[in-house]
Amino acid sequence: MARIVACYKWVIDESDIKVNPDLSINLQNSKGKISDYDKNAIEAAVNAAELLEGKPVGLTFGNSKCKASLKDALSRGLEEAYFINSEKADKADGRVTAAALATAIQEMGEVDLVVCAEGASDTYARQTAPRLGACLDLPVISSVNSFTIEGKTLTAIRKLDDCLETVKVELPAIIAVLPEINHPPIPGLKAVMNAGKKKMVEFAEADLKVDLNPKNQVLDLQAYVMERKNIVFADGELTEQVKNLVIALKKEGVI
Amino acid sequence: MSDIYIYSERLDIAAELIGFARQNHKEPYVVTFSAVAAEELANLGANKVFYLKGESPLVENYAKQISKFLKEQAASHFMVGATARGRDLAARVAGYMDCGMASDLSGLTYVDDELICERIIYGGAVRQKEAFKDFCVVTVPGGLFEPVQGDCEIFTIDLKADERVVLVERTEIPSRGNDLPTASKVVCVGLGLAEEEDLSLVNGLVDVLEGEIACTRGIAEERHWLPVERYIGISGAVIKPELYIALGVSGQIQHVYGIRESKIIVAIDKNDKAPIFRYADYGIVGDMYEIIPLLTDLLN
Amino acid sequence: MSETEKFDAIIIGAGPAGIACAYTLAKAGKEVLVIERADNPGGKNLTGGRLYTYALEMLEEGLSEEAALERKVTHEQIMILSEGRGTTIDYFDSGFSPYEGPPQSYTVLRARFDEWLAGKAEEVGANIVCGIRVDDVIEEAGKIKGIIAGDDEIYSDIVIAADGVNSFIAQRAGLIPDIPASSVGVGVKEIIQLDTSVIEERFHLQDGEGAARMILGCTEGLHGGGFLYTNIDTISLGLVLMPEEVAAAGKPVAELFQEFKNHPAIYPLIAGGSTVEYGAHLVSEDGYHGLPKKLYREGLLLVGDAAGFVINSGYSIRGIDLAILSGIAAANGICASSDIAKAGPQYIKEMEKLNLLPTLKAASGYRDLLNIPRIYSNYPYLANDFLGNLFTVNGEVAAPMKKSLKALLKKHNISFWQLFKDGLRGYRAL
Ligand SMILES: Cc1cc2nc3c(=O)[nH]c(=O)nc-3n(C[C@H](O)[C@H](O)[C@H](O)COP(=O)(O)OP(=O)(O)OC[C@H]3O[C@@H](n4cnc5c(N)ncnc54)[C@H](O)[C@@H]3O)c2cc1C
Ligand SMILES: Cc1cc2nc3c(=O)[nH]c(=O)nc-3n(C[C@H](O)[C@H](O)[C@H](O)COP(=O)(O)OP(=O)(O)OC[C@H]3O[C@@H](n4cnc5c(N)ncnc54)[C@H](O)[C@@H]3O)c2cc1C
Ligand SMILES: Nc1ncnc2c1ncn2[C@@H]1O[C@H](COP(=O)(O)O)[C@@H](O)[C@H]1O
Repeated sequence: MARIVACYKWVIDESDIKVNPDLSINLQNSKGKISDYDKNAIEAAVNAAELLEGKPVGLTFGNSKCKASLKDALSRGLEEAYFINSEKADKADGRVTAAALATAIQEMGEVDLVVCAEGASDTYARQTAPRLGACLDLPVISSVNSFTIEGKTLTAIRKLDDCLETVKVELPAIIAVLPEINHPPIPGLKAVMNAGKKKMVEFAEADLKVDLNPKNQVLDLQAYVMERKNIVFADGELTEQVKNLVIALKKEGVI
Repeated sequence: MSDIYIYSERLDIAAELIGFARQNHKEPYVVTFSAVAAEELANLGANKVFYLKGESPLVENYAKQISKFLKEQAASHFMVGATARGRDLAARVAGYMDCGMASDLSGLTYVDDELICERIIYGGAVRQKEAFKDFCVVTVPGGLFEPVQGDCEIFTIDLKADERVVLVERTEIPSRGNDLPTASKVVCVGLGLAEEEDLSLVNGLVDVLEGEIACTRGIAEERHWLPVERYIGISGAVIKPELYIALGVSGQIQHVYGIRESKIIVAIDKNDKAPIFRYADYGIVGDMYEIIPLLTDLLN
Repeated sequence: MSETEKFDAIIIGAGPAGIACAYTLAKAGKEVLVIERADNPGGKNLTGGRLYTYALEMLEEGLSEEAALERKVTHEQIMILSEGRGTTIDYFDSGFSPYEGPPQSYTVLRARFDEWLAGKAEEVGANIVCGIRVDDVIEEAGKIKGIIAGDDEIYSDIVIAADGVNSFIAQRAGLIPDIPASSVGVGVKEIIQLDTSVIEERFHLQDGEGAARMILGCTEGLHGGGFLYTNIDTISLGLVLMPEEVAAAGKPVAELFQEFKNHPAIYPLIAGGSTVEYGAHLVSEDGYHGLPKKLYREGLLLVGDAAGFVINSGYSIRGIDLAILSGIAAANGICASSDIAKAGPQYIKEMEKLNLLPTLKAASGYRDLLNIPRIYSNYPYLANDFLGNLFTVNGEVAAPMKKSLKALLKKHNISFWQLFKDGLRGYRAL
């Protein structure tokens, strides 16, 4: 049976990031989530599996906390979830991520299609799918806005900066999908309940035999802050407030 | 460690990257897949222009061959213009070279021959600085560096493409008259807008301000009420107007990324806890449907 | 469990009531399913901030030692505010933090606590599903048979409504009226982050100790009060008000809250902190008087806030401990019944055993006390004025205390008779 792999990343919810007074960042109380656009990737993999009459599976590379994502991913229509459990994921760059995912994909056996999202919502590096192609020596189609599959031929419409492109490839292949490709539904009760009973496979770092040390050296993380006046007009009726706004904008010389 | 190889689909970025190399006393070499572009690039101060000639119309398909070429040339860095196609090619080359890569830089400098890259992560909340010692690939958007001039020779090299992905059809997306990037006043609507018809209300305000209309991602990508070139943010347009007015925009970080350089930011939202007020100079908490007519009238 | 099989019990809501019930049932070997609409247990929950440990110990001995709690409360405080003034009574009791046995109470943050408790229940075998809202109950021949969520229906021998105040499920089942009781207050609260050392310094706390503070006179005369709890590295600061009164007064809650935060006696406590969370939640104000006439139907039990189990004594709100007790009682009732669907009467008996209903009844006088409008403005202002006079030294000959008190009573529109009557009411309530 055809196997379709959806790669998804467990990321820190950016709305939980706290800024310290010295502009360093505090991720202590931040929760994890499946990267927003990876929900589109999962949904695309599920759809592809229907077209191929195959089995959609999830694959994620993350630290031990990422385990919490497996049930969530499985409730979205995947049939199995594979998890590469490594604390090295925290410092992984595009090279390490692709290498880890590629090795796991090879471990799984035959794979017909790998689906990534165009970019992950934390680093938005947009490297993984093309790099995976290099690691696995598979053809890649990025910026996919929609696709169809007939037999073993996948036809995709890509949305690039200035054009739409229709391209064709024989599977196996890798695609990176744009968020516009679909609207993933919110999983229902039974889907969530059944998720816990599906197959989950964990790879330990040692199983993979790849170098998981990044090539880049992160020097510094700093919050990006904006100094603004933060004046809210609240006195008087709405008309008064609007009037005060206009006066302020005149003073600023912007109208 | 001084030969910088440059590719950009957008020639203005290629020109700026040559400028960057020159400014840092490095040797710029340019690769291109078009004979016409090669001519143009030959006047921009590079050492050499390599015209890579092959059968495939998809430049990504040359990634493996380019990585071979870069190895042969002992390139020290590969710098690519950050367009959709450029990013894809760059990441594949990085994959075949098994090297480091930093995408969509907001800053790039050399410190003691180490390449220091700055980029924005977490949707715009955090700036990350990273250093690369060895060969690496970076993608760079336009507007960071000054171009220079100077003639050079063009060398033609035949390259074999990976033909597994085949182009069936390409249609240009016509760029509709869009003055958003240079507008001095921008009125932006978010999902607080209830109906598509209500855009006329917003346009009334845009007209009296003689500004441009913009929107958040949802309005363009989900509701399709405005063209995608009109949405602002980390995955959309980045603008620097004198005045930016947000109407029913909650101010999520990914959107705010695109307006940070605005001189004055005004927020109108009915939720006093909306993050947009944190990023605004002036704000009114209230219903935009009541405020827009008042504001339009006053400005008239 | 296959698709067609059914659960012994389905619990709606993963608050303390629901989880305590699930924990007890799962430990007794029952197949339980907990359904929570938030993405994580505790995700949408809001409380003031204190948990009495006896309830956790009743759930399982030793549980309060490993619980995700904040600071053990050793300082019980009452603060009386009026414009520009404040009086704080600080009762310190090291006995609240004994060396042996668990301290009497801890401050608590629900997002952490609920998630931890849910984890415990999962460890003993409860199924917990989050991110799903229950839309209705399945009713067949007058009996509740299961629940409906979206397109899915699931059956069980019994359904436990642990869905909190103004329980939608209790309404659907006809146990409480559709129109919510008028005596529901609204609580608003901010969690303000500060360094641990700053908190300990500002509240004079030893390592791990905490303060629980009730605040009067901060509601501009409206029925209600404030609260403040010190957590490890945050402060929970909130107000509880009656929505209709707020509406009649014409001032938005947010504005009242802002003024409260800026009161010169409050501001220095939170200065330099950043608000990391903001929320609002309903709180039932009626205590024993407000309990639904029936707490069960065939196939359905109400527990926790859904059953109205809250004691609002003016100096504190207690609901988490009662929620846990009722959850345990429901589980025990189910385990003791041969026909699970008919566990209702046994549930009531179990509550008597755990002293839950007697506790609520004993506290029933508070409502009368809290209905005296004068305790929200006249008395707090009077107290501060009185102390103000007491501590004023300005070179003038001070009026005798008796005389000054009389003048103050007049100023605040209170007669001796009223003072006596209110005092008596207060005495009776206690
Ligand atoms: C990786 C990634 C990249 C993204 N890139 C972008 C990007 O480039 N650009 C972008 O915009 N988004 C982007 N997003 C999406 C972004 O996170 C937000 O979801 C989006 O910006 C929210 O749009 P909004 O403010 O219009 O909608 P909402 O967040 O839904 O806010 C609507 C606002 O309208 C207010 N409102 C409603 N009715 C009224 C009324 N009558 N009067 C006044 N106010 C009213 C509400 O109070 C609310 O604050 C990205 C997300 C991800 C994960
Ligand atoms: C401002 C304020 C301060 C308070 N201070 C204190 C205090 O200091 N100490 C104290 O002991 N008590 C305090 N209380 C009371 C206490 O918070 C409650 O009594 C207690 O939380 C009740 O627990 P519960 O499990 O019954 O309900 P909740 O904790 O309300 O849990 C109900 C759960 O059900 C879920 N739910 C609701 N509807 C559905 C549905 N349809 N489908 C699925 N899930 C659903 C909710 O998301 C929630 O998780 C305070 C309350 C307030 C509002
Ligand atoms: N750690 C990871 N585990 C699984 N998939 C990942 C991981 N990192 C990235 N991906 C996939 O690659 C896509 C692009 O990521 P990025 O290149 O980091 O922007 C993501 O949207 C995922 O589909």
